Amino acid sequence: MIGEIYEWLGDMENTKPLALVLFFVTFVGIVVYVYSGKKRKQRLESYKDIPFLDDDELDPTHQKKQQVNNDESTGK
Amino acid sequence: MSTNAVPVATEQYNYGIVKKFAIMAMIWALLGMLAGVYIASELAWPFLNFNIAEITFGRLRPVHTTLVIFGFGGSALFATSYYIVQRTCQARLWGGKLLPELTFWGWQLAILSGVLFYMAGYTQGREYAEFIWPIDLLITVVWVAYFAIYAMTLVKRSQPHIYVANWFFMGYILAVALLHIFNNLAVPVAWNSLESYSLFSGVQDAMTQWWYGHNAVGFFLTVSFLGMMYYFVPKQAGRPIYSYRLSIVHFWALSFLYMWVGAHHLHWTALPDWVSTLAATFSILLLLPSWGGMINGIMTLSGAWEKLRTDPIILFLITALAFYGMSTFEGPMLSLKSVNALSHYTDWTVGHVHSGALGWVAMITIGSFYHMMPRLWGTTLYSTKLVFVHFWLATIGVVLYIVALWVAGIGQGLMLRAFDEYGNLAYTFIETVSFMHIPYIVRAIGGAFFLSGMLVMSYNMYKTISGARQPASTESRAAVAAAAR
Amino acid sequence: MKHESIEINSGLLIVLTLAVISIGGLVEIVPLFHIKDTVEDVGGVRPYTPLELRGRDIYVSEGCYACHSQMIRPFRDEMLRYGHYSLAAESQYDHPFQWGSKRTGPDLARVGGKYSNEWQTQHLADPQSLVPESIMPSYSWLLDTKLDYSQIEDRMVALKRTGVPYSQSQEEYDANVEKFGKAVADELHVSNAKQSLEAQAAAEDWDGKPDQITEMDALVAYLQMLGTMVDFSKYEDGHFNQFR
Repeated sequence: MIGEIYEWLGDMENTKPLALVLFFVTFVGIVVYVYSGKKRKQRLESYKDIPFLDDDELDPTHQKKQQVNNDESTGK
Repeated sequence: MSTNAVPVATEQYNYGIVKKFAIMAMIWALLGMLAGVYIASELAWPFLNFNIAEITFGRLRPVHTTLVIFGFGGSALFATSYYIVQRTCQARLWGGKLLPELTFWGWQLAILSGVLFYMAGYTQGREYAEFIWPIDLLITVVWVAYFAIYAMTLVKRSQPHIYVANWFFMGYILAVALLHIFNNLAVPVAWNSLESYSLFSGVQDAMTQWWYGHNAVGFFLTVSFLGMMYYFVPKQAGRPIYSYRLSIVHFWALSFLYMWVGAHHLHWTALPDWVSTLAATFSILLLLPSWGGMINGIMTLSGAWEKLRTDPIILFLITALAFYGMSTFEGPMLSLKSVNALSHYTDWTVGHVHSGALGWVAMITIGSFYHMMPRLWGTTLYSTKLVFVHFWLATIGVVLYIVALWVAGIGQGLMLRAFDEYGNLAYTFIETVSFMHIPYIVRAIGGAFFLSGMLVMSYNMYKTISGARQPASTESRAAVAAAAR
Repeated sequence: MKHESIEINSGLLIVLTLAVISIGGLVEIVPLFHIKDTVEDVGGVRPYTPLELRGRDIYVSEGCYACHSQMIRPFRDEMLRYGHYSLAAESQYDHPFQWGSKRTGPDLARVGGKYSNEWQTQHLADPQSLVPESIMPSYSWLLDTKLDYSQIEDRMVALKRTGVPYSQSQEEYDANVEKFGKAVADELHVSNAKQSLEAQAAAEDWDGKPDQITEMDALVAYLQMLGTMVDFSKYEDGHFNQFR
């Protein structure tokens, strides 16, 4: 039984469409999910500010502020 | 876990471990690239083998690859991933003091002992997995600890969302674990012997090895460094990543596709045709997420292009992305069976690897380190001018290297398949070797350029760090730091 | 399920990533162990004799694979230069495989018998003395290093565990006699290993130093066997195309 499946998979004429379907469904699924919905867009795009939320740069407008407390954690 | 992402001011990050890995990455980079320039010179001037077993090309080549991939690349990944996971999760590294230290000492011991054993003639004979079996076990222990530290730090984060850079690092940690374990299955000659024989043989062994070999490039040298890119490019540019949604598609598509393409290293061999055709197909598809990632990185700078003129760190990061784009275009092209028939077994492949390894991996690391290291020591960079010098040395080096090996590889490929008017082979093999002499010299010079750039960087870093260690009050140091930004 | 649950749940992220990265390897590697035609059924391919095995160990430990492939592709120029293209069956006992990835020097898959033992020894010891333009390092120390074959039985037993038909019991020996003939079966018997190695080293005096067994003996014995096991004159032209 399992041998038959392998034989079937071993035939390029079967494997090609199978791989195509596998990949395509995965890909389209992700893309449709990610790019649909306005609320989702807002939520997802808000995450790009995370690197700017750490200690020394708290300003969410991404304009680097002249903060004096830079890297004081390293001083300890 | 609070949904309000205000970090606790007293939160203290574990920067000690990041500093250690960063310094070792610099040291391994110098040694590994020195080994690279030396073996490149051996190909141009074979007397440099000096009839000494330990430094012949065959034994030094894995020393070079191991030092640059696992020594430099690996240590740089430990450093930056530990740095990024703490700062984007706003949580201290999990594992207390001991576990991160274990990953540090275990990793360094593996690299050092590994290359000494190669020079003594102990190797598994598998490219990029030459470590003998006891060291493979050590690496497994280190990697499990690394995984635990990383996963647990994610779990205890004080930021509800896991930033995309961490996905890339997690993907790389998982994939490398999988690859390392399955590719190193072996039976030792005896419990007290350093030698072993691989569990698989022939076709199956070849397929396993190149599944590993290409994904060492795919995950160890690409997915992980994209994690670095997704943090340091926005930070240095001072603007968020171009499209977060694109980064999600980028991550899943890349992780899925990469694992299929290893067999393109085995086109036209005794590997069944269906496998290599499948691998070629997926290699072409891989172009899409690769370029998606590149565009995401480069477009982050849109509206601030003038920084390319003034900020050499940005210059490094963006040039790295440009080389990433170039080599992820060249890769799918080389995986076409017709092109591969010419390019395989020649220096074209070696040149391709280095456009990725020097142009992408090393440059994105260099840019990230110039950003990160002053911050680790709470100081500013000793000299921005020297970063410009480094940039030009590195870029000239990579270009010389790639062009030389295009000439060597394509030239040799064409000569080997040339026929004269009577249908006989037009050239003997040794004639192609003579032809490659000049390109080999140029390649060695290109490598030397890149190495000298790393020396400049080391000097700059040494001055930066030793400057930070000068006794100074906290306030004045903070003032310096503020002035720099 | 929302994608958000992946983003905020590290466990789920790990599991899904693991699933996504496993598919490619599973689909491409696992069938190779099950599809019969992956390795052709041809006569003549046998495991390495103890001396050849030690020679192969030296080939691996010197990193010869960094510059020499052992895989001839089915192209006109390669078949003219090196011989019949390589079959999967010919490396079925290779742990690890040594197909290589780079030809700084020529392919060695069928180098066996192309040159004399004297030529091979001289070439390894001083390549430029025979091929002035060569960029190969000299391996002269192989001539001065005595071959260590103290662990030869352990090596064969380790390989036997991976599936190579070296024999320890009478039944295994008998099976080898049936499959490879008596002369070969004797060489594959683990308890004969040392005798067989010494006999093979003495029989041809591979390195021109009859009084001792050196690493050069083993390496030359290995090189002289490469690609000689399958007698292609026994098969019709194009016979092996069906397996590609």
